[in-house]
Order: sequence, then structure tokens, then C-alpha cells
Amino acid sequence: MEIDYLLVVLLSSLTSASVLIIATLGLAVIFGLMGVVNLAHGEFIMFGAYTALVVTRSGVPFSIAVIVAALVTALFGAIVERVIIRRLYGRLLDTLLATWGLSLVLYQSAVLIFGSVTPGIGMPQSNVRIGDYTISSYMLFLLGVAIVLVLALYWLLTKTGYGIVARAAIQDSETASAIGIESGRINTMTFALGSGLAGFAGAILLPAVPATPGMGFAFVIKAFLTVVVAGPVTLTGTVLAGGLLGSAANIVASFWTTVAGNIVFFMLTMGLLRLYPNGITARWNRKL
Amino acid sequence: MFKLTNATGGYKKTTIIRDVSLSIAENEIVALLGRNGAGKTTVIKYAMGLIDAFGGSTSIDGKELPVSTAKRVKAGIGYVPQGRNVFPRLTVLENVAAAAIACGHNRKDAEERALSDFPMLKPKASVLASSLSGGQQQVLAIARALATKPRILILDEPTEGVQPSIVDEIAEVIRKLNRDKGLAVLVAEQDLDFCLSLADRAYVLDKGVIAREATKSEILSDMELQHELLGV
Repeated sequence: MEIDYLLVVLLSSLTSASVLIIATLGLAVIFGLMGVVNLAHGEFIMFGAYTALVVTRSGVPFSIAVIVAALVTALFGAIVERVIIRRLYGRLLDTLLATWGLSLVLYQSAVLIFGSVTPGIGMPQSNVRIGDYTISSYMLFLLGVAIVLVLALYWLLTKTGYGIVARAAIQDSETASAIGIESGRINTMTFALGSGLAGFAGAILLPAVPATPGMGFAFVIKAFLTVVVAGPVTLTGTVLAGGLLGSAANIVASFWTTVAGNIVFFMLTMGLLRLYPNGITARWNRKL
Repeated sequence: MFKLTNATGGYKKTTIIRDVSLSIAENEIVALLGRNGAGKTTVIKYAMGLIDAFGGSTSIDGKELPVSTAKRVKAGIGYVPQGRNVFPRLTVLENVAAAAIACGHNRKDAEERALSDFPMLKPKASVLASSLSGGQQQVLAIARALATKPRILILDEPTEGVQPSIVDEIAEVIRKLNRDKGLAVLVAEQDLDFCLSLADRAYVLDKGVIAREATKSEILSDMELQHELLGV
């Protein structure tokens, strides 16, 4: 086996893990940190993808469209939190039903508005050559995006005033209000942050994953499993779990088939949860 | 300075405290005594806006406080809850910082003040609060409440499950803050010795109403009162 082939396999598995991590970070905030089982996470990604699509088609550069999509999805998330989620904190089954209903509404709305097939955004495709092989330069760019996004989120939640107050409000909202934190408002902001990350994912992945009403399904199951495997140290755990599961599945897929890759993903998840029922970071003494 | 007037409240439709009135002057340390279940925690939660109020009011300097708990804290009530409730996955300093940031105070100053008031937190400054002992968590909860720069500090059972050496240290710091900064203190306790080492005056709560108001010397000389209401 050639060194360039190994390098391409390595890079493509890392980029595939990056896609999984980008698509999971929003859920890591909403489910991993806040404990809200948001079954509409996939549709939040879809929401971001369509927003970016519409904005790009109206002539705005793609890079700005991605930011607009993240902001619009964050705003949408804030409204969802105020109207639905706020009443359901700590009520697992009710949250499941409500967010599942929301996902159906969003899916059907997308079908009604955009139809079930939509053209892509026609980004110029360029490739990077490695020996005898090539790899998409946009996929390499996504690897960088994932790294920057994780670092930025870690910085936001551990170093800024908002981050410290937000983590306090999530851990114990009554005590948080008893030291002066407006827990309700802060939790709306954090839910909006998670939604914005989902919207960003849908938008930034648009050149690689075209917008379709059903695109959320492809992400939501793997995203949930990744956060569950991650355990209580949410962010570090998500990066580790996403990196491991995403690249393992991709390596198998590149030697065999995508179906085999998915089987490995789920088998590995089962194995890890068997070994670490509370997630791989259950015994870690880290804050995030 | 701080006043509860005819406080009546409880949970859902159950009234637990009825017409509780008490007042605390600036510079004063007052104890709230009573047996288990007498309603001490409920009175404190009423003052914090954490339970349903059916009547009465809470005020500072004659101004009635808003309903929102967070706004009451910003109006000058520092609160140390029963069971401490430190944020387990925040570090010691982050626990303090969260309170300072929420109330619009400088974070660095608050952290430095916490470490100088409570030197025992220094070696633990950047570990998660969940890894502290019960007594250390209690100290942290007090440091966190002080970071809101309160005018009155309300403590709910601060000695519960805390080792004696730390109880003494807590009493010492409360006395110092009261003496140097004029901090008013309301402390709910079952530990009579601890209370009387701090307070000059006490309200005795029984079955949700104020059964009696007494000075330190009255309580100390009245064995029957001690026995009847406090079970000591």
C-alpha cells in the first residue's frame, strides 16, 4: 500500500469525522449541556441549509449566506425555546413529543415550500492532489472549520462571562437565579446558540450535502449517538466520540461500502456504551 | 433596613408560613430559630421569591422588592441555600465569578476578595466545585453569595454537615464582615450555640408562625423555651 493512499484515507476519514462533529455541536449544546432531547435537531440543520440556499440564490456570497443562516436559525431557536421548550424543561417524554412534532412540521413545510428535490448551489469544485490521488479541497476546508468551531465554542463557554453564567444556569437554574442570574433569558440564549450551530452546520455543509427536506434524518441519529457516547464532559467528549466514530466508519466505508461503514458506526457505538454506560467521559474531572 | 411584613406563602395551594413579620437593621445579625419543619427554609425562600407568595411583602429600606429572584439579589440580598448548591461542574473561582458577572460586578475583584476572605479556597481555586468537601462547599457558597455584594446575607442552615473547625471559621468571617462592612445577616439554624455566638436577637418560628422574639440573654436564661421550641 502506498503512502499517498494512506494519507488520502487518513485525511478523508478526518474530514468525515469533521462533518459529523460540525453537525453534532449544536446538539451537544442543546442535549449534552441543557439536557433537552431535541428530535428536531436534524430539521434545524435543514433549516440552516435552506436559509443559506435561498440567501445564496438571491445573489449574496456564500460565505455571508452561511453567517446569515446561522443567525436566522439561532433566532428561530430562540422563538422555539420561548414558545415550546421553556415549558418542558425536565419533562423528557413531553419534550420528545413536542420536538418530534416540530420536526414533522418543519419537514412538511420544507416539502411544501421547496418540493422534495432542490438544485444545489453550484460551487466550483476544486481538488487537492496527493500523489496519485485527489481529495476535495472543500472537504479539507471543513476539517479546518471543525477545529476552529470547537475551539471557539470551548472559549465561549469557559472563558467568557456569558459562558460561565450559562453553564451555571444550565446546572441549577433555581440556584442560578438566587445569585442574580436571569436563568430564563440565559437559557433562551443558550438554546439559540445550539440552534445557530445547527443552522451553521446545514449551511457550511451545503456544498457537500445538498439541501433536501429529509436531510435531517441522515444527521440526527448519528448526532444523538455521538453525544450519548460523549458523556458528561460534553464538548471534549463530543470531539473524541465524533472523531472516533466518524473516522472509523469512513475508513471501513473507503475500503468496503458505505453500508459497512454505517454498520461499524453503530456496532462501535454499542460496544462503547456497553463499556461506558454513562459515556466515555463519565469519570473525567473536566468542566467541558 | 430589611423587612418581611405579614409574609404568607407555601407551595401550590398549601400555606406553610402565615403572617411572618421580621426586621433586621443595618449592622445587625439576627437568628431564625425553630425545630425541623417549623418553616425556617420557607421563610427564607419567601424572602428570595423562590416560593408562591399568598400575601405580605419583602422590602429593603422601605422599598418593596420585585417578584423575580434574580432582581431581589441585585437589590441587595445575598443567599446561601440549604445544602449549599454549588455549581458542581464549575470551578471554585467560576462559582464566584458567575455571581459577580450576573450582578454586573468586576469578576477579577470578586475572585480576589473571595480568596482573601477564605484562604482555604486558594489551593482549590481551579478544581471543580463537586470535588470539594461539604465544609469547603459551604464556604464556597458563602463566598459566592458575597460576590453579589449584598447588604444583607441570608444563610440557611450553614453548619449542617460541616466539620467544627470550618464552622468556627465561617462564624469568624461572618462576624468580621458584619463588623467591618456593616453587613446585615439573617441566619436560620438548629445549632443554637452557633447562632448565639453570632446573633444578639432571634425570632423563634413554630408551625409557620413567629412564636416569639427574644434577645440572646432571654434565650440563654429561659431553659423551658430552649427545650420546648428547639428540642435541646
